Amino acid sequence: MLNKKITRTCAAAVTAMGIALGASGAAAQDEDWAQIEAAAKEEGALLVYSTTSRTAKAAENFSAMTGINVEVVRLGEQDLIQRTYQESVAGVHDVDMVVAEDWVAARELLANPGYMINYVPPTARELFAEEDKDPLVLGYIGRVFGYNTEKHPDADPLSSVWDLTTEEFRGRVMIRDVAITGEHQNALTEWVRRSDELAADYERRFGKPLEMTEDNAGLEFIKRFLENDAIIMTSDTKISEAVGAPGQDNPPYGMFYVYSKHRDAPLQGLKISDSRAIQPTLGYYYPIVLQLSANAKHPNAAKVFMEYLSTMEGFAPWADSPGVYSPNPNQVPFEGDMPLSWWKEKMWHYDRDFAAENRGIVLDTWLKYAQR
Amino acid sequence: MRTAYNRFRMSLTPQRILSVLFIIGLGYLVIVPLFLMLRETFIVHPLERFQIPGSQVGELTLAHWKRTLFSENAYAFFYHPLLNTLKIAFGMSFLALAIGALLAWLVVRTDMPMKGFIANAAIIPYIMPSWTLALAWITLFKNERIGGDQGIFSALTGIETPDWFAYGTFPIIITLSLHYFPFGFMLIGGALRNIDAQLEESAELLGASRPTILRRIVMPLALPAIFSTFLLTFSRGLGTFGTPAFLGGPVREFVLSTSLYANLIGQRPGIGYIAAVAMILLGVLVLYMDHKIIGTRRSFVTISGKGARAGLVALGRWRWVIAAGVVIFILGTIVVPICALAIDTVMLRPGIYAWENFTWHYWIGDASLNIGLGTGEPGILRNSQLMSALGNTMKLAVVVAVVTGILGILVGYAIVRMRGNWISQALDQMSFLPYLMPSIALGAIFLAMFAVPRGPIPSLHGSFLLLVIVCTVSYLPYAVKAGVSAMRQIGPELEEAALMAGASWWTRMRRVMIPVQKSTYFSGMLLPFISVTRELSLLILLVTPATQLATTITLRYTDRGWYPYTNGMVLLLIIIVVTSTVISRRVMGTNIAKGLGG
Repeated sequence: MLNKKITRTCAAAVTAMGIALGASGAAAQDEDWAQIEAAAKEEGALLVYSTTSRTAKAAENFSAMTGINVEVVRLGEQDLIQRTYQESVAGVHDVDMVVAEDWVAARELLANPGYMINYVPPTARELFAEEDKDPLVLGYIGRVFGYNTEKHPDADPLSSVWDLTTEEFRGRVMIRDVAITGEHQNALTEWVRRSDELAADYERRFGKPLEMTEDNAGLEFIKRFLENDAIIMTSDTKISEAVGAPGQDNPPYGMFYVYSKHRDAPLQGLKISDSRAIQPTLGYYYPIVLQLSANAKHPNAAKVFMEYLSTMEGFAPWADSPGVYSPNPNQVPFEGDMPLSWWKEKMWHYDRDFAAENRGIVLDTWLKYAQR
Repeated sequence: MRTAYNRFRMSLTPQRILSVLFIIGLGYLVIVPLFLMLRETFIVHPLERFQIPGSQVGELTLAHWKRTLFSENAYAFFYHPLLNTLKIAFGMSFLALAIGALLAWLVVRTDMPMKGFIANAAIIPYIMPSWTLALAWITLFKNERIGGDQGIFSALTGIETPDWFAYGTFPIIITLSLHYFPFGFMLIGGALRNIDAQLEESAELLGASRPTILRRIVMPLALPAIFSTFLLTFSRGLGTFGTPAFLGGPVREFVLSTSLYANLIGQRPGIGYIAAVAMILLGVLVLYMDHKIIGTRRSFVTISGKGARAGLVALGRWRWVIAAGVVIFILGTIVVPICALAIDTVMLRPGIYAWENFTWHYWIGDASLNIGLGTGEPGILRNSQLMSALGNTMKLAVVVAVVTGILGILVGYAIVRMRGNWISQALDQMSFLPYLMPSIALGAIFLAMFAVPRGPIPSLHGSFLLLVIVCTVSYLPYAVKAGVSAMRQIGPELEEAALMAGASWWTRMRRVMIPVQKSTYFSGMLLPFISVTRELSLLILLVTPATQLATTITLRYTDRGWYPYTNGMVLLLIIIVVTSTVISRRVMGTNIAKGLGG
């Protein structure tokens, strides 16, 4: 059984390499788009696994436009990776493309073994920044720090992430459980990687050097944050509601919740704002990634759908809230929000290789202090 | 030769043939997954390799076990969550058992009024997703710690609830036992109903007091059902994730299931599955205790073919008071959460409880981007995808209930008739194992096992049959427990008499063994039926667009915060399940008047 598995893996890898070479080499330049579109029409249908439910909406619009039928199965981040991985290993190739998150894990399980390959459709090739092409990014999600504007009507109460570890914020900061949030784990590896900047910011804020018992400032933050009685939640919605609810004497603060929750704030009467003064990062952003199956039964239809998702029209279902950004530079930011380029300057992302190597350490440090 | 052959033929009793078949089947569906899971804990997975210096993916390693059990942080990684898990599992099992048993006794053995309503309503907490109760608790009792709008209790009384009351072990135990007490209600109710009244009458004639009769006669007779209930509830307590995470997180109370999820999400399955193995071992330990205690007792045969129905305990002038108490309890734990769900489905904009905000839009509205949440989704009842998913769920639930019901009777029969034999023990334990496996792990393993053809078994990937198999295996314990406790109470003389009269095995089962214990079997089928309607993590990896279920399709609304749709689907499920329960009770002749109602 193991032998068979290995043979299959190799076969998949070889095919993948073939296609990858084709895609990144000559074909990427000279591919005949008209031919792909014609072939897509003939294929007529495709199956997509997606972590975001808006893909279903985009698929509907796409089908209406092209007549190509798209089935979308909505899965959680890890379920998607797990399912695609297990099916690929078993040689079941039903899925044509995935809309995935937690690229650090997905790359390790799906792209590196060659089950999923990158493809850059014409619009993206022409307009996207290099860093948004491999893997092809559908959009970025922003996660922020937030506070209650009734309590702090005039000024942003946060100037450093280290504020969150001080007595004033004791038992007052909420975060979605890092243990069950893969992207939080990725994001915190960046705090490890940029420990020096983090330590420097401590000194800037408090005028003295950071004393550490952990290996670096990133892990030291995790420790101090948890020892400061951080409140661990299971949902971003609950965090933004708790932070923003009006009429509170002592409202909590939010860390790393999705900025898109601010969309409904006026509707719900929430008094909430994200911190634009906190240093050294305003939160973090991470990509939603598009990947083509190396063994897709409808590769052309998938390519045409990927092209559609790269256009502003295709991105429309995601464009109706702040905190979600297309790499397409023509995309106008949501009303009141800043463009992606602005955020990229002020917000940390993460290094994929470093994240893969270090997120275990981040998780262990988190568990060590959270479950003590 | 001939005699040897004859002896062989004679030994082919139905229970032996059945046992062997079940052992082979369960071996493949239970032992293989268990082995696969255990193997994962000794293997280096892609993201794990970075923390194990010099290791390669796929290599064998002891590092996961060392880290979890023996490292300097082992207390935080493993033992502390383990202790919390035990606290919660024991606490909720005892409380759920107490509530379930008391209600069962009141409904079956007393002349309490309003039994019909109470018996039907008492299963509803298990139909509702367990988070509804956790959510209700937070809404009622939260304090300043988690901010937001004031808790209703504090708003009304001005008293801030203490943290231990609002979050952590205490509310986790309360809400989980309110969710799981229907197990005890059904299983113990079934057992109580079958206790021969002559036993109690004899005791009464001999001068035994009520409490003595309860303690010396009723309790021992109901003991197998009590233990089954404990085992089923305890095991669920070990593996449950949502409620402990939601209520425990704010005060840092973590359980083993959090470790499992955290490490699966961290892509460290080798570490994660150790938590799963620990949960399974704990469950096996309780299963073993169950065997020690129940197994060494003489069996109590309570249906001897000459039994009389039990008389009802007269509660006298207290009967209305007690009924009122029970009804208030049910209103509090069932009606209030359901109403809270329902209200959200008719509020155009969430959280604004005003008449102008009332709408049927989320039920029967057209797809629109401008109304309410602006979802662009048609109302639930006009949404063909939701309706077909609901249809799939119901189809699956009925098929699984029938299949597990039949298997439960047969396995129960084999276990009881082969008692004292290792086969019986093996069957009993094997049939229970999948129930102990965390569904998130079981789903992934079944996906891997059935994605390709193996030997005579074709690839079942994406098929409805696979969903049936997975659910059947996973919920078989309910039916087997019911089957065993039912069969235990049937004296062999009933079957022997039928045998003497020349009845074939098939006729004996059909005319004797099954009819006399109808209501217990029915309870055994009802639990799988309800469980399937709510199952998500077991099936999420296995459904395809064609086999979408109510729970899997509802995900897309949950993660966008479109709760009117999520809640509406939950409500629909509750309505459908309760209605079909009432109808099927009638059809099966185990209706309230004659059945659970004593």
